[in-house]
Parts: sequence; structure tokens; C-alpha cells
Amino acid sequence: MSQAGSSASAAQAGQSSQAGDALTVDTLVAQAVGGVDTATISKLLRDTAPKDSRDSALISMLATGEDPLRVLDPVQHTLVYLHILCARLNAATPSRPGLDLIEAFCQSFSPEQARLAPQKVTALAKAIVRVAHDFGHDQFALSPLYHLVTRYPPSLACLTTIHPIFVARCVATKHYTLALPVLAVPITTIDLKLSDITYSDNLTYHYAGGVALGALKRWKEAEEFLEICVSSPAQVPAAIQLEASKKLVLIQLILYGKTVAPPRYTNAALQRLLKASPYGVFAKVYPQGKAQLTKSIQKDVDLFTNERHIGLIHQAIDRAPRWLIQKLTSTYLTLGLADIAKEVGLDGEEEVRSIILSMIESDEISATISSDGTVTFSDPVPQISKVDVDRMLRQAQEQTKLLWELDQTMNGNRDYLTKVRYLSVAVGDERRC
Amino acid sequence: MNDTTLYRSLHAAYDQIATGSDGDLPPLAEVHPLDQDWIEEVNQKNQAQRIKLETELKTYTSNMIKESIRMAYRDLGEFYRETGDHAAALKHYTKSREFCTTSQHVLEMCLSVLELLIEHRNYAHMSTYVFKADAALDAASTARSGPASGPTAPANAAAASKDKAAAEREKVQSKLDVSIALSYLGQGTFEKAALAFLKVGPVKSVGDWVGTLTASGDVAIYTTLCALATFKREDIKSKILDDDNFGVYIEQEPYVRDLLESYMGNRFKLMLEILDRYSTRHALDLHLGNHIANITNMIRSRALVQYFQPFASIKLERMSTAFGWTVEELERQVVALIQAGEIQARVDRQNKILKAKETDQRSALFARAIKSGEMMRVANRKLLLRMRLQQADLIVKAQRGPGGGHAGDFLSDIYSM
Repeated sequence: MSQAGSSASAAQAGQSSQAGDALTVDTLVAQAVGGVDTATISKLLRDTAPKDSRDSALISMLATGEDPLRVLDPVQHTLVYLHILCARLNAATPSRPGLDLIEAFCQSFSPEQARLAPQKVTALAKAIVRVAHDFGHDQFALSPLYHLVTRYPPSLACLTTIHPIFVARCVATKHYTLALPVLAVPITTIDLKLSDITYSDNLTYHYAGGVALGALKRWKEAEEFLEICVSSPAQVPAAIQLEASKKLVLIQLILYGKTVAPPRYTNAALQRLLKASPYGVFAKVYPQGKAQLTKSIQKDVDLFTNERHIGLIHQAIDRAPRWLIQKLTSTYLTLGLADIAKEVGLDGEEEVRSIILSMIESDEISATISSDGTVTFSDPVPQISKVDVDRMLRQAQEQTKLLWELDQTMNGNRDYLTKVRYLSVAVGDERRC
Repeated sequence: MNDTTLYRSLHAAYDQIATGSDGDLPPLAEVHPLDQDWIEEVNQKNQAQRIKLETELKTYTSNMIKESIRMAYRDLGEFYRETGDHAAALKHYTKSREFCTTSQHVLEMCLSVLELLIEHRNYAHMSTYVFKADAALDAASTARSGPASGPTAPANAAAASKDKAAAEREKVQSKLDVSIALSYLGQGTFEKAALAFLKVGPVKSVGDWVGTLTASGDVAIYTTLCALATFKREDIKSKILDDDNFGVYIEQEPYVRDLLESYMGNRFKLMLEILDRYSTRHALDLHLGNHIANITNMIRSRALVQYFQPFASIKLERMSTAFGWTVEELERQVVALIQAGEIQARVDRQNKILKAKETDQRSALFARAIKSGEMMRVANRKLLLRMRLQQADLIVKAQRGPGGGHAGDFLSDIYSM
């Protein structure tokens, strides 16, 4: 089949009289090895039509019977290598390259060349996931994807299509920690030339990141990722945004004991949907004694279980006594352990004692327990050193610089300038009238 | 009143209570046997009256005499009000509005409706009619003063009629003030109610409403309770105690003055005792009954807050004697107030002491500054990302074609793992 395909496309290429018979693997490889510069090859590959016949041309072996992937060097001939690799991974032929070959490519490819064909990189990432799945071991995909995501973009702060694929795989295979190095760098740059991302790539990446961080109990970071997902620009809320806002609410309950109003620019319909759901109801009654909370979720347990949120709900319920105790500190100076147990709705003094001890250890409250079981709360005095202040000032300066630079770029922005000129012309016209 | 249904239900209600009270109340038959003859007689009379009024209305309508139609509607409204059919009465009153030719008539209609609404405690609707009446009142008084000041009228006669007009106007205005105040009270906005009650003119200006709809003593009670629950101390002094006009109202219910004075003199125990002593009277009041518990709570909380204000720390025991409560009761109240943020203090449960909160302003300021700096930084970063997303037009848009969420695939993918 590959034979027929290649000859047909060769004939077509001949008709189009563009690059002669460039469409066989042989000429391509010959050109690449012969040292033709990558820009020409990129043009050649892009101009060749139609696409499917090009792909079928690319999967064939060299005329000498050699495997082109053995002839080409992944570092020097990244572009051609990438095209052939993708074509082969997508084709239903036995000539599919092994994972070790992919792994080697991902480790060594030249990012500059790969950036000439962003679509191929996306296709490669998707193909890796599929291949690993076909092998029956999803986690095989993680290592090549990791190399791809860390090496392809100029910095991890640039969102690419590989980001969501990688993190989602990490979540799906429960290898959360693997995603941490990627998640640690917040996204600040969106470049459509670098990668053909869509809005759902952005949403998926932040959602999956939130899930991974939540699973690792890094609540603060998880909250931020989910919040970005929820508050991403939307004309109509996406299903994944609603899902994210459910998780966000539960994580805020775990983290702060209450919900935090989302940024003003969040889609309003999303908030309405959430408020009406059992999650909104749960957030409203929180925090109360464990027994009441467990009772209040009773009728929605099935829903929570189906939506895979029952774990977060239970964690939130487990933390409820802490918030109640924290509330007591603002009302009382001293309280007996038994009194606390009664106020918070716990059974034994010992349970209260252990919770209070752990709260003192984690700096959630400042208190002392005397031998007769009296807890004395004291106001935590915030200790702020000069170092802290200096650090804050430095950060503020960096911010200012960043914003200033942004302002400068904005002044050079074409759309902005057109608009400003249009406005000033309009004003001028009015004055003249 | 020709309301036979009311008579019957009153009878039935008494009967029910008497049978349930195990002989504390004399049985119904002894007090007042049901007067069947009277009921029948009145029913017949009502029936005849209704037919008469309705025929009248029909004749007038066919003759197209506006003024007569209005009067017919008004009479029917009044008739239904007498017989206790609230909805029908309201319907006929409002219907008469279409046939009003002067603002005086509109005013008359509004006042009738207001009387009806007050009788039936329909507070939410009252303000609409008060505003309508206000507008009509303005129009009516300018219309009336217009011809009177004409050149033909002798000067002193004009002045006399002007005085009369002003007095008339004041009367209506007072009624409107009472209505709006009652509507605020009924809807639980006590501060506005108190202010509105204070605007009501002298007792005689309320005219025929005193004794039928409300008593001047009631006005005193409503105002005082609402004011105690919501006003600041200085306002209570300047607006209530120093107000001569309102003093007349207070005279009607001497205990109200005691209440005010004990509050101003910080004798909270006495004040609470007075409130308690008259609690039955308050609870049975038509307009106050629903809110008295709420108002009492508010007054109590204010008293507690005021009492504690000058102290840095105080023994709960001392406080409880000042209020005449047990220590436990007091603690409960104080804790509720602390949690509501009314008192800046904390309770030392073990030693029974209430201690005012001290905050280290300097370090609090530092902590706050650092926190807001941090928040701004994070918000900035998120906003920049959002801006970039928008520049790149990565915006969630409505999907073409139904079904199949783009996120759905991914979610099911993750869930299935």
C-alpha cells in the first residue's frame, strides 16, 4: 500500500512542478543529509499537498531498504526526523517505531528546528500517549513527554499543547510528583506561533495541574491553578470550568475554612450554577460539627461519589473542628478541654487535645494547655523581620519593572496604536466641527 | 361592623380555647350563645345592600357619569370592608381610581386603601399608596391655594382659607406619616420606622385614625422601642427626649418615659424589668407582636455593648448583677455579641472575666501590608495571563451543535482511570 501511495504522490508532485520529485523519502533524506538548510526543507514540507499523500510518502523505507530514521540524526535533522516519526506513528503499518526511538528523539531533538512545525510536535505528543496506551503501559508516555515539554518551549512559562497532555497523563497514571517541576513554573506567556494551542488546552492544563497538586495536598497551589481555570475568559462557561469550580470550593474549605469570592472577571453563570449545586449548599453549612456535616451531605453522597469528590468532602469535614476551634480563639481567652469538645461537637477530651496540639504545632493557633485541661489562647504576634520587608520590597520592584516593560510593549502594539490614533483623529474631527 | 364570618370564627376560636383550658375559662354558652337571629338578619341586610349598590353601579356605568361611578365603586368598597371581604374591598377601591377627576379624589381613595391595608396588616403594599397619596396631596393643595389667592377674594378670607388648607394638609400628611411608619415597622426596618414615627405631627392632626386604627400611646411605644433598638444615645436624646411634639405622645404611656430614662441613665436592669413587665402588652399588639422578640434582643445587645464600652476587663459576675441575669445567661449573650462582632473582647471562661481585645497596631499594620502586597502580586500575575489569553483569543465560546462537551471527554478520561 505504501508503494502505491508514494508513486501516486510522486506523480502529483511532478505535475505541480514545484520541487521536482522531492516527495520521496529518499530525496528528503538526501537533502537533509546533504546539508540543505532547514528553512528550505520546512517550506518544501509545508507546500507539499495533499497532506495524506505526503504522510504516506513519508512512512516508506529508503530505496536501499534502510530505515530513514537510522540514517537521519535526530539532532541535526530534527525537522525531517519529526515528520517521518509522526507519519509513522499515525500510520497503521508495522513499521511503527519503538518507544526507545521516540525516547531518544525527545531527549536529543533540536528545539529550534522543531519549532518550525508546531503541529507536528502536538501530533507527536498525542501519538506518544496512544502508543503507550497500546502497549498497555500508560506511564511509558511520561518520560518522553516530560522531555518534550521541558525542551520544546524556550521556557516552561510558555504554554504549549504538550503541557496539558503531559499533566493529564501524570494525573491519569497517578504520578503526581512527576508533574511538579512543570507546575512549579506559572504560565505567563501565550504564543500562538510557538504552539497551536486552543482555549481548552489552557483550561485542561490548569485543571489537571490543580488536580495533581490537590492530590499531593498542596492546597495553596492547587487553589491557584483551579482559580485560573475557573476565571479564564469565557463567553459561556465550559464544563471543565464548572468541574474546576467545584474542586476549588472544596479546596478553599480545606485551606481557609470558608469560600473565597472568585475574581470579579469570572463568568457569572458559573457562580450561579455552582451555588445551586450540592457543593454550594455544602459550602454554606460549613463549618459545623462533624456529625452535622456528615448528616448534611447524606442525601448527596451518591452524587459526590460519582463525581469523584467524596474524598475532598471527607477531608473538608475532617478539618471542620479546626475551624470551629479557631473561631473560639477570637471569643474566649480560656476554655476547658471539655467545653471545647462540647462547642465543637467532638466526643472525647483526648481528641480535642490532639487536635489542639497539632494546630499549635502547625501554627494555626497560639495557645497553651495547662495540666488541669485548661486551654489558654493568646493572640499570635506576627513576627516581621527586616529581611521579610526587604524581600517584599524587592518583589514589588520586580513587579513594577515588569509592568513598566509591559506598558512599553503595549505602546508599541499595532492594534493599540491604531485604536489610539483612530480615537485622537475622531476627537480632532469633533474639535474642528 | 356587619362581618358575620368574623363573628363566627371568633365564636369558634373561643370555643376551642375554652374546651382546651380545663375549666379555667367559662364555657362558651355561658359567655355568649351564638346569636343565630342576628347572623341571619345581618346576612339578609348585607345581601340587600349589596344588590342595591351593584344595581346603582350598573345604572351609573350605563349613564357614563364619571363622578357617580366613582362614588358607587367607593361605596361598594366600603361595604365590602364592613362585611370583611378584604380582597373585594381593595378591588373596588382601586377600581374607583380610574374615575377620579380631581387629585382630592385620588387622595381620598388612597387614604381608604391605606386604612384597609393597615387593618389587614398588608405592610408591603402600603408605601405604594403613600407615595401616590403624597403626589396627589401636592397637586390638591396647589390646586386649592390657586383660586383662593385670586384677586377677587378679600385678603383676610384668603389668609383664613390658606390656614385651613394648611391644617387640612397637615392632617393628611400625618396620616400618611403614620402609614409609612407602620409599613416600615411591619417590614422590620426599625430605624426607618422610628424616624417616620417622629415625623408624625401633633396628636390631633392624626384625627379620626386615633382610636380606630392606632392610638397615640401606641405611637409612643412603637417609636421608643424602635429608637432604643437602633438609635445612638445622642439621637435618642435630641430626637426623642427633647422633642416637645413627641412629648405629648409619651404622656399617653408614662412607662415609656421610665424606659427611656432608665436607658439614658444606664440603669439597664430596671430597663429590662420594665420591658419584661410590659412584654404581654407588646406581644399582643397588632403591629408590634411579630417583632417584639427581635426588638427586645436588639435593645438588650445595645445595652450590653454600651455597658462594656468603658472597661478594659470586667468580672462577668459584676456585669450580671447590673443586668439582673445569671452569669451563664450573661455569658451566652456576651459570646453571641462577640461572635457577631459587636463587642471587641474575649471571655476568660475559667476565671469568668470579660477582657477587651488589645491589638498591636504596628505589627498588625505590617502583617496587613505584607498580605496585601502578596495578594496584589498574585492577582497581577493572573491578570497578565488572562490578558495574554484574551489577546490570543483563547476564549471559551459557545459550541456549535448540541451535545458532546469538549471537556467531557477529558473528564471521563480521568474518571475512568
